[in-house]
Amino acid sequence: MGKVAKSPWIMHYDASSCNGCDIEVLACLTPVYDAERFGVINCGDPFQADILLITGGVNKQNAPIVKQLYDQMAEPKVVCAIGVCACTGGIFKECYNILGGVDTVIPVDVYIPGCAARPQAILDGVVKAVGIFQQKADEMDKNKKMKPAPQAAPVEEKAEEAAEPVVQAAEPVAEAAEAVEEKAVEAGKEVVAND
Amino acid sequence: MAETTAKRSIIPYGPQHPVLPEPIHLDLVLEDEKIVDVLPNVGFIHRGLEKLVQKKDFNEMMYVIERVCGICSFVHGMGYCATIEKVFDVEIPDRAKFLRTMWSEMSRIHSHMLWLGLLADAFGFESLFYQVWRSREQILNMVELHTGSRLISSVNKVGGVLKDVDDDKLKILSKTVDQIEEDMLRVQKVFFEDYSVQSRLKGIGILTPENAHALGAVGPFARASGIPLDLRMRGDNAMPYIDFEPITSNDCDCFARCYVRFMEVLQSIDIIRQCIAKMPADHTLVTPVKGNPQGEAFMRLEQPRGEVVYYAKANGTKYLERFRVRTPTFANLIPLCETLKGESFADLGLLVLSIDPCISCTER
Amino acid sequence: MAKLANFTPTILKNLFSKPATTTYPFEPFKYPEGTRGHIENDIDNCIFCGMCTRNCPTRCLTVDKATHTWTINRFDCLACEYCTVVCPKKCLHTVEGYQEPMPEKSSVTYTMSEEAIAAEAEKKRIAAEKAKAAKEAALKKKAEEEAKAAAEAAAPAAETVAEAAEAAPAE
Repeated sequence: MGKVAKSPWIMHYDASSCNGCDIEVLACLTPVYDAERFGVINCGDPFQADILLITGGVNKQNAPIVKQLYDQMAEPKVVCAIGVCACTGGIFKECYNILGGVDTVIPVDVYIPGCAARPQAILDGVVKAVGIFQQKADEMDKNKKMKPAPQAAPVEEKAEEAAEPVVQAAEPVAEAAEAVEEKAVEAGKEVVAND
Repeated sequence: MAETTAKRSIIPYGPQHPVLPEPIHLDLVLEDEKIVDVLPNVGFIHRGLEKLVQKKDFNEMMYVIERVCGICSFVHGMGYCATIEKVFDVEIPDRAKFLRTMWSEMSRIHSHMLWLGLLADAFGFESLFYQVWRSREQILNMVELHTGSRLISSVNKVGGVLKDVDDDKLKILSKTVDQIEEDMLRVQKVFFEDYSVQSRLKGIGILTPENAHALGAVGPFARASGIPLDLRMRGDNAMPYIDFEPITSNDCDCFARCYVRFMEVLQSIDIIRQCIAKMPADHTLVTPVKGNPQGEAFMRLEQPRGEVVYYAKANGTKYLERFRVRTPTFANLIPLCETLKGESFADLGLLVLSIDPCISCTER
Repeated sequence: MAKLANFTPTILKNLFSKPATTTYPFEPFKYPEGTRGHIENDIDNCIFCGMCTRNCPTRCLTVDKATHTWTINRFDCLACEYCTVVCPKKCLHTVEGYQEPMPEKSSVTYTMSEEAIAAEAEKKRIAAEKAKAAKEAALKKKAEEEAKAAAEAAAPAAETVAEAAEAAPAE
């Protein structure tokens, strides 16, 4: 995959947060604490994002949403939990509706504490996340190289081989269909006889 | 059958969306790109923090109520302390009143500038978003210099305030506020006269004054429809010593809300200047409060988003029995659904942002 | 052409002024005074009473009197400063600087130094001896007072016995 650490794309989602950490995340993308110097851009789409920034604890209603967002992202992916509420549940740990921090639902790679987390801390965390992202991408490349490549068979033989199982599969299906028809006919005869 | 039956479809506008900063789910009933009906589904941020009064005593509860919302956090802390002070029936010293007014106006400036930037981003004008947020950093630096933290200030206490401000800090604040006014006046021309801003904002999201009154809209949402409802006229804290008139507009559309909030930034700067000039010299900050609260009290304050109502009930132990918060976005959700009917789907992000939604306030 | 002339002062100002971006992380950041970073404990003055533990809104502190330790989980701390307000010895204080983001959560433990533990034990021993001496003195005083009272009670009794003896021969 080469050097992916030059431009990771970020997605930001607010689970049950009070908005303090979200505003600081948005402030990181503005000119004064510019995170775009490091090549990140805020896209809103989980299918295109590499790094997920999550703020806030997890609600009972929000847990399936967070899990779905995590599953929609493509490998390799990195998750950053921003703020004390995302790390451990924070001051709302004892509430009836909060399950805990984000790591009760998805695996987390970097914990960024603070209430509200400072933009400098978020920048530090994002730089660490970019490093972890490059590591994961390199491991994925290594795993692909170590798997043995499949044998390249000639094309016609392959076509015949592919045709055989289809034919073989077709036979039992045809038999089953005939059996069903016979049963239907018999059932019809019975009904007629009953009437 | 009719000649052209427009087909209706139901589109989910999900909890995760690039324009929305918070999770809210809307089921939109669309008829060929026009919105016909809206069914909101809230509950993604509900933490149930009002039940924590049974586990934390009335001094510690301040830290919980402050974190109902991170943007309007100062007014929540101030409102909680003001309600408990009303239950105890004590009056805080004059300097504490002026400090509370000054800090709540700083909080209002930062909240309105945040909203102006998000609105510009919602209709695609990113460089305007960056200009406004670059100015906003100055007011956050001032809040950090005075109270210790940028957003969640934790500086209120039952009976007064915890930190004092000396003359140096007031001078620095005065200079910063002048600089912010200069920046805002420079951007004013773009917000009020630029062709692309006008064509996106004028004429959409109309809420008539009769509807605003009947459905209970509050804050700048109602003031943009001509209703002069502003709770700072009630005279809490230092407001009796300050000259102040609420800002209204008669246009009733999205552009009017933008105008009202912009002018409120300039008005808050004026209020801060008056507070600095009239700050009392006596440095007592806290009236000591003894024993446990007993009784109940109501309190109404003006948050950046509108009118907030607090209710506290105490029964003589150190744990309160009940504390209830009714926030302005809760009152503005129903007029929002009324405004959305008949609008085009492409304007949806702008319209939802025009009430300044704070869903974590609504759901606590 | 007129619009270009309008914009020229802004162009010149932007060309010759500093950029708006902070130079963090290449240069360290300068905090304003009084900023709330993290909580530290002056452990040699701590009496391990547990007031901070009971009052912390997030319950991130633990205190163990037997081993003289004070532990804080910085990934749970809000920096709200409520513990500094309730501490009776005022040994907790706020220092600037935040906890570094990490791949794993961790806690920090402060242990009392050996000299301080020895000094505390010495103080306790002296206090115990003083208390013992005071108790002995009090007991002694009580015994003396009882003896005196007994002697005074015996004296009028002796007088009445003498009066009775005089009255008897008189009869």
